[in-house]
Amino acid sequence: MAAPNVRTSSFSRNISVVSSSPQIPGLKCGPNGTTFISTGIRDLDRILGGGYPLGSLVMVMEDPEAPHHMDLLRTFMSQGLVNSQPLLYASPSKDPRGFLGTLPNPGSSKEDKPIAPDLDQGESLRIAWQYRKYMENQKSSIDDYSNDFDMRKPLERQFLAGRPIDCVSLLDSSDLSVAQDHCATFLTKFPRNSSNIASIGRIAIQSFCSPLCEYSDKESEMLSFIRLLKSMLMVSNAVAIVTFPPSMLSPSSSTRLQHMADTLLSVKAIPDGDKELEKLLTGYKDINGFLNIHKVARINTQVPVILEAKTFSMSLKKRRFLALECLNQAPVDGSSGTSYGTSGSCSGSSKSGALDF
Amino acid sequence: MDRSVNLLDLALGFDEPSPLRGKVVLIEDCVETSGSFVLHQMMKRVLSPHSSDALIFLAFARPFSHYDRVLRKLGCNLSTQKTNNRLVFVDMLMMKCSDGDDNVSGVAKLFREIQGTVRKLGNVTNRNITVMVDDMSLLEIAATNSNSDHVLDFLHYCHTLTCESNCSLVTLNHEDIYSSMERPAYLLQMVCLADIVIKAEPLASGLANDVHGQLTVVNKGMISSKSGKGSSRNKLQNFQFRIKENGIEYFYPGCSRS
Amino acid sequence: MADSIFRKLRDGGEEGELAPALTIEETVVSPFALDVSCYLLANLSSSILAGKSKSEGLVLVTFSRSPSFYLQFLKQKGIVVSSSSKWIRVLDCYTDPLGWIDQPSTGVTEGPSLVKLNKCVSDLKRLFSSVIDAGREMVGDGKTRFSVAIDSVNELLRHSSMPLVSGLLTDLRSHAQVSSLFWSLNTDLHQEKVTNALEYISTMKANLEPFCPSPDGKRNALENLFLAHQDFGKGRFHVRFKLRKGRVRVMSEEYHVDQTGINLSPISSAESVIAATKSLIPKVHFNLQLSEKERVEKEKVVLPFEHQDHGKSTEIYDGRRTLADGKTEATPLSSGELQADVVSSGKGGEIIYFRDSDDEHPDSDEDPDDDLDI
Repeated sequence: MAAPNVRTSSFSRNISVVSSSPQIPGLKCGPNGTTFISTGIRDLDRILGGGYPLGSLVMVMEDPEAPHHMDLLRTFMSQGLVNSQPLLYASPSKDPRGFLGTLPNPGSSKEDKPIAPDLDQGESLRIAWQYRKYMENQKSSIDDYSNDFDMRKPLERQFLAGRPIDCVSLLDSSDLSVAQDHCATFLTKFPRNSSNIASIGRIAIQSFCSPLCEYSDKESEMLSFIRLLKSMLMVSNAVAIVTFPPSMLSPSSSTRLQHMADTLLSVKAIPDGDKELEKLLTGYKDINGFLNIHKVARINTQVPVILEAKTFSMSLKKRRFLALECLNQAPVDGSSGTSYGTSGSCSGSSKSGALDF
Repeated sequence: MDRSVNLLDLALGFDEPSPLRGKVVLIEDCVETSGSFVLHQMMKRVLSPHSSDALIFLAFARPFSHYDRVLRKLGCNLSTQKTNNRLVFVDMLMMKCSDGDDNVSGVAKLFREIQGTVRKLGNVTNRNITVMVDDMSLLEIAATNSNSDHVLDFLHYCHTLTCESNCSLVTLNHEDIYSSMERPAYLLQMVCLADIVIKAEPLASGLANDVHGQLTVVNKGMISSKSGKGSSRNKLQNFQFRIKENGIEYFYPGCSRS
Repeated sequence: MADSIFRKLRDGGEEGELAPALTIEETVVSPFALDVSCYLLANLSSSILAGKSKSEGLVLVTFSRSPSFYLQFLKQKGIVVSSSSKWIRVLDCYTDPLGWIDQPSTGVTEGPSLVKLNKCVSDLKRLFSSVIDAGREMVGDGKTRFSVAIDSVNELLRHSSMPLVSGLLTDLRSHAQVSSLFWSLNTDLHQEKVTNALEYISTMKANLEPFCPSPDGKRNALENLFLAHQDFGKGRFHVRFKLRKGRVRVMSEEYHVDQTGINLSPISSAESVIAATKSLIPKVHFNLQLSEKERVEKEKVVLPFEHQDHGKSTEIYDGRRTLADGKTEATPLSSGELQADVVSSGKGGEIIYFRDSDDEHPDSDEDPDDDLDI
C-alpha cells in the first residue's frame, strides 16, 4: 500500500504549518491560504492532501447499484457533528432526519489502530526520511481533527442532541427553491471575512437528481441550483458534499456538474464472485467497492494535483472502519506498481472498462 | 520580464505588442485538464507593466481572492491594477438573468455594462482593452432561465466590440459538455467567431507529474482588414505543458526537461 | 472557375427571369466563406465602377462583420468608398441587430452609403424593404438594376425560421431590379434541412471542402478542426451551376488561404472530382438472388473436386484414366462426341476437366501450405 505522493516539494513545505493549528478544533491549514476539514475517512484525508478545503464543493457520482456514496456522506456528517460543526442535510426521503440514526460513531482508536501498522510498513519503504517527521506530526495532531468511525455503531446521542442540524426533504416542493433558501440561510452563518474562522458549516445533499424529486426533469434548474450553491460556498467557511446519479442526467448536464465540482469523486460496485478479479486483486474478498478520484480541489492555485493512483478499494477494516487502499494488483503483465499508469489506476485489469468512467 | 516568452506566447504572437487587438480567442478544456492556466497567463500578459492595456474580467467560476492569489504568484498584483484602473473585475458569481423583465434580458444589461466600461477605459490612447470570461458554460446556466439564444446574442455583441473598439475577447468553455450533442450550436458558434482556438486536453497516456497535458493552438486568422504579417495565419501548433505556481513550462512533445 | 461565378453574378439574369443566386457554404473546418465573399465583392465593385456590369449598384447587407471591415478591405484593393459613393450601399445589421444599444455610438460617420438597421434580424419584411429602398436610392426607379450581397445568413436563421429566411431571399431574387444575389452560410451551425433549403432556392452553390476529410464521415465538427493539422487553410473549392437547359455544371479548384485572401488554382492531382455525378447513371443489374428452382438445380451439381464417397480412395474424374486404376472401367473420352451426347440427352450440366499431365496429383484434403516453412 503506497502513500500517494500528492505534493511537490514546495507544496509540502506549506503544509508543515500543521503544528500551529488554528484556534478551533477540526481545522487544518492547507497550502495557499486554504483550510481543510476532515472527510471523516482518514485515508481519504491523506489522499486528498488533508481533507476537503473550506469553500469547496464536493461532488460524488453514485453507482446506482451500490450505496458506497452513503458511507462518504455518513462519515462526513459524523465528523462534523463530533467536531460540533453545524450541519445541513437534504435528501429525497420523506423523513431525512431518520438518516441521522444511521450515522457512525467514532471508534476508540487507541485500542485498535486499524490502519496504522499497514501504513507504517508502506511508509518506511517509500517516504524519505525528512518526511517522516511530517507524518508523525500529522499523527499527533490528528486526534482533534479526524476520527475513525465504527460503521456498525450508531452515533451516540450526545453528538446529536441540541446540535444545530437542519434536515430538508427534497420531496417537499416541486422546485429547488426551498432547498435553495435553506442553503442560503445556512451559509450566511459562516461568512468568510478576514483570517479568523469562527465556525464551520457542513452541507450534505444526498442523491441530488434522484428521479423521486419533482424537479428531476428540469435540468437547467438543477444546474442553476448547484451553480449558486458553489458560488455561495466560495465566500463561506463551509463545505458541501453532493451525491448524484449521473445516469439520471443527460451526458452534457452530468459533465457540467463535474466541471462545477471542486473535488470530484465517484464510487463503483465491485462484481461479486468474479474469478478474474479475484486473481488480479489481492484482498478481493474484503473489498466492497471502488472509489475513484477524478479531481482534487485547487483553490487559490493553478497547479493541478496529480495523484499517483486514482482508484482505491473501499473496505471495512475489522468489519468496522472504512479504509481506502491503492489497488494491489497481482503482477500479471510486468506492471511493477511503481510506474504511473500501470499501477493503481486499474488500467491493467481487464475490468478497466467497467471501472473507469 | 520578457525573458519568458514561451511557446504559447509565440503561438499567440506575443513577441509583438498587442497581438490580439480585435481578435477573439476561445480556450477549450475538459474535466480532466483545466484550461484556466491559459487565462492566467493571458491576464498577466495584458496587465504587463510595459503596456497600458486594460482588462475587463467577468468572473463566473472563481472569486477575486482566488485570482488575486494565483496572479500574485505569477508576479502580477491584481489589486494594484484595480486601483490603477487597468483591471475591472466583475463578480458574476451570483448573477441571475431572470432579473431583467423590462423587455431587455439580463445579458443585454450585462453587455451594456461592459460597453460602458469599455468606453470609459478607452480614453487612454493606444490602449487595447481585453474582455475575458472565465467560464462561458456558467454564463449559459445563468442565462438559461430566459433563453440560451441570448448568450449567443451576447457573444455577437461582444464581437461587435472587437470591431468597434478594437477590443480583444478571450473566453473559456468546456468542450466535453458538448461532445455528446450532435450539433452543439453554442460551442460551434463560439468556434466560428474565434480567430484563435486553444484546446487543453490530457495526454493520451494519462496525467503525469512532469507533463500535465497538451495544448493545441489553431490560429484560424480570419481574413483581416489590417495588413499584418502572414506568418500566423492558418497555423496549427501542438505542445505539452507543465503547470507550476510561478509559471508554465511549455515544450514540444518528448522534450520535457525533467 | 471562380471567375465564372463572378461573371454570372456580374451579368445577372435575363429580364423576366429570377436573378441568379449563389450560396457560399463553409464549415467549421474550412471557415473561409468570408474570404470568398470578399473576393466576389472586390471583383463586383471594380466591374461596377468600370461600367462593365449590368448592375449599376451594390447593396451589401452585413451580419457577421462590421461595415468598416468591408470598407477597409475594399480600400486595400484600391476601391475607395466615400460617404457619397453612388454605387454602393452598406446596410449595417451587425452593430445592433437586437436593439440592445441605447445611445448610438459616437465617432462612426454615417453617410448615405452606410445605413444602420436596428432590430433587423427578426423583422424580415422591413429588412426586405430596406434593401430595395437602398438599391433604388442608388440606381433610381427605372430599369437599372443592382446586386445584393448578404455576408452571412446564419444570424438571420438563428432569429427567424427557415421558411421566412428563404422567403426573403426568394423575394429579393424575384424583384425586377435585383440583378444578382449571393450569401454565405456555415452549414455546421444548422440542420441539414436548412442547408438543403438554401441550396434549393439558389442557382449556384460554392462549397469549401477541406483536405483530409473526417475519417468516419460526419464526426464532431469540432474534433475535425483539430485533426486538420497543416492542411488547415487548404482544400477544394467546388461549384455547381444549375444551367438553364437543365444541366448541372460541376467545377472544382484548389484553394489556399493566406493573409491576402483566398487563392484558387487548378487541381494538381489527377484525381477525379466529379465522383458525385457518377451516381446518376443507373448501375448494371446483377441478379444475385436465386429462385427456389434454381437453387435446387444448383445443389444437384456435383463438382469434380468434391469427394464423392467416403472410405474409397480418391477418385476424380478428369477425362483420362488415372495412373492407379488404369484397368478399371473408365471410359476413355476423346472429347467431342460424348460432350455432345451429354448435352443432347438433357442430363444437365457436367464439368469436364482434363488433367494437364500425370505429375499433377488429384485434389486432396491436404493443406497446400503444409510444407511451408515459416
